[in-house]
Amino acid sequence: MRVHSLLAIFIGITVSIHAQEPVKPKLNPRIVTATRLVTQFSDLELQMLKAVQKKTQPALQAMLTDDCAIEMPNADPLPGEDWIDSVMAKDYSLKSFALREFSAVDLGTAVVVKFERRESATLKGKNESGEFFVVDVWKKDGEKWKLANRFVSRTAATASKAPIKPTGKQ
Amino acid sequence: MQSPLGKMKYALAFLFVLLAANFLMAQTVREGAGVNRAPDGAGHGTHEVAPSNNAQAGPIGFTVNTGNGINYNGGPVMKGTVNAYIIWYGNWNGTGSNTAATRSAIETFLGTIGGSALELVNTTYGDNTGNVSGAVHFGGSTIVSATQNLTDARVQTQVNNAITSGRLPRDTNGVYFVLSSSNINETSGFCTRYCGWHTRATLGGSDIKYSFVGNVDRCPSGCEIQTTGPNSAAVGQGGIDGMANTMSHELEEAISDPDLNAWFDSSGQENGDKCNFNFGATSTCNANGLCTASGTSAAAKYNQTFGGHNYMLQQNWRNSGGGACAQHL
Ligand SMILES: [Zn+2]
Repeated sequence: MRVHSLLAIFIGITVSIHAQEPVKPKLNPRIVTATRLVTQFSDLELQMLKAVQKKTQPALQAMLTDDCAIEMPNADPLPGEDWIDSVMAKDYSLKSFALREFSAVDLGTAVVVKFERRESATLKGKNESGEFFVVDVWKKDGEKWKLANRFVSRTAATASKAPIKPTGKQ
Repeated sequence: MQSPLGKMKYALAFLFVLLAANFLMAQTVREGAGVNRAPDGAGHGTHEVAPSNNAQAGPIGFTVNTGNGINYNGGPVMKGTVNAYIIWYGNWNGTGSNTAATRSAIETFLGTIGGSALELVNTTYGDNTGNVSGAVHFGGSTIVSATQNLTDARVQTQVNNAITSGRLPRDTNGVYFVLSSSNINETSGFCTRYCGWHTRATLGGSDIKYSFVGNVDRCPSGCEIQTTGPNSAAVGQGGIDGMANTMSHELEEAISDPDLNAWFDSSGQENGDKCNFNFGATSTCNANGLCTASGTSAAAKYNQTFGGHNYMLQQNWRNSGGGACAQHL
C-alpha cells in the first residue's frame, strides 16, 4: 500500500516534469557559410578597429570618405575627422573588440552592413567598455571601399562577460 | 496471491523501468548540450564547448590528427560512403538557372565529387574509430513545388517530410540538401548573412544531417563566385557553379563535423569556413573543352575537374602538414 502510494507520487512527478518540456524541441544551431560581402566587409571593419587600436591615423583616414559622418542618438552628426581625432587621442585606448551578428546588403552604389560590436576600452583611465549596434554605409571610391556613414548606438554599458577576442570569422 | 515482498519486487522493478525511461528521456532532451554553438553573429556559429574527455586527452586513435590549426572535439565524423540527397524546393522548372538543366548538373556534381582531389582533402579528418573515406554517393532527390519562403524550422520540416513520406530514405550516413530556387528566401539570413548552412536533428529517432543552400543567383554579389561559371547554361547565370561551391563547403563540413562536436578550430570555424571563398590557383575555360559554351566565351575560371566537368570550388582545410587551404592532398 505504502509502496503503491510512493509509486503514484513518483509517477505524478515524472509526468509533471515531462509535461513541462517544450512540445517543439529547439532547433540545433546551424553552422553557416558567410556571404562574400560579409567576409569582405567584416574584414574592412576589423582593419578599421585595428587602425584605431594601433593608432595608425593615415590608415584610418584612408578608410573614410571626406564627408564621412558618425550619427549617434541625441547628438549632432560627428564629422569623420573629429571622430578620428577622438580615437587617436593619447588618453583613449581600445584594448580588445569582437564583432558579431554581421550582415551585408548590396544596394548597387553602396553596401550597408550591420553588426554588433563588443569592446573593451578606457578613456582618461576610466572604463569605456560597452556593446554597440552599428550600421555602416560603405561607398566605392575608385577601387577602394570607404566608410561614408555610420549609425551607432550603445546597447550595453559594459561589455558582456563573454571573452572578448576576435573570432576570426567576421 | 502474492506476498508483500513479491509486491515490493514488482514495484521496485516498475520503479526501475520508470527511472530508466526518465533517464532516457532526459538524455534525448539534453542531447547536444555538450556543445552549444550560440550564433555569434557574423552569422557564424560560435562553439562554446564543454570539452569531452576525449578532447582534453588529445589524440587517442591514430585516426585523429591534431596540431594542424583545427581541433578535434570528441564527436564522430561520417565514415564510409556518405549519401547525398536533394530536396528541390520552390520552382525548379522555371527560368534563369532555376531549371531542370541545373537540377541535372547539380545531381551530376554530387554524384561525381566522391573520390575527387578536393574530396580526398577531407580524408585527413577522422575520429577514434576511423577516417573520412572521401567516398560520396548521390542517393536521390525529390521536388517540392512551393512559393512559401523558408525558415530554419521549415527547412527541417522539408527534410522530415521527405523522409517520413518515403520520398527519400531514412539515412543516418546521409546529408540532405534543401536547395531553394532563386525566388525563395530563407528568412534567417540567406544572402545577407550566409549562402548556406548545415546542422543536424533527431528526426524520428534518427540522427539526420542536413543543409540549406539557396540558388545564389538570388544575390550574385553575396554568394556567386563569378557571373558566368564553367557550367553556366547562359552568360550571367552563375547559379550552378555558385551552388556547387556552397554545397561542397557544406558537404565537407557535414562529413567532418556532422553532429557539430567533431572538427572545428578555437574560434568555431569548421574546415570549410577556414577557406571560405578561397579558391587557390585557377585555370580559364577553354583549356580542356569541359566548360559550357557560355563558360568558355566568358573565360570563366575553374580549379577542379571531375566527372567530365570543370568546377570552381573553394579549397578545404587540410588537416595535415601543419594545415592549409588545399585543392588536393
Ligand atoms: Zn561553413
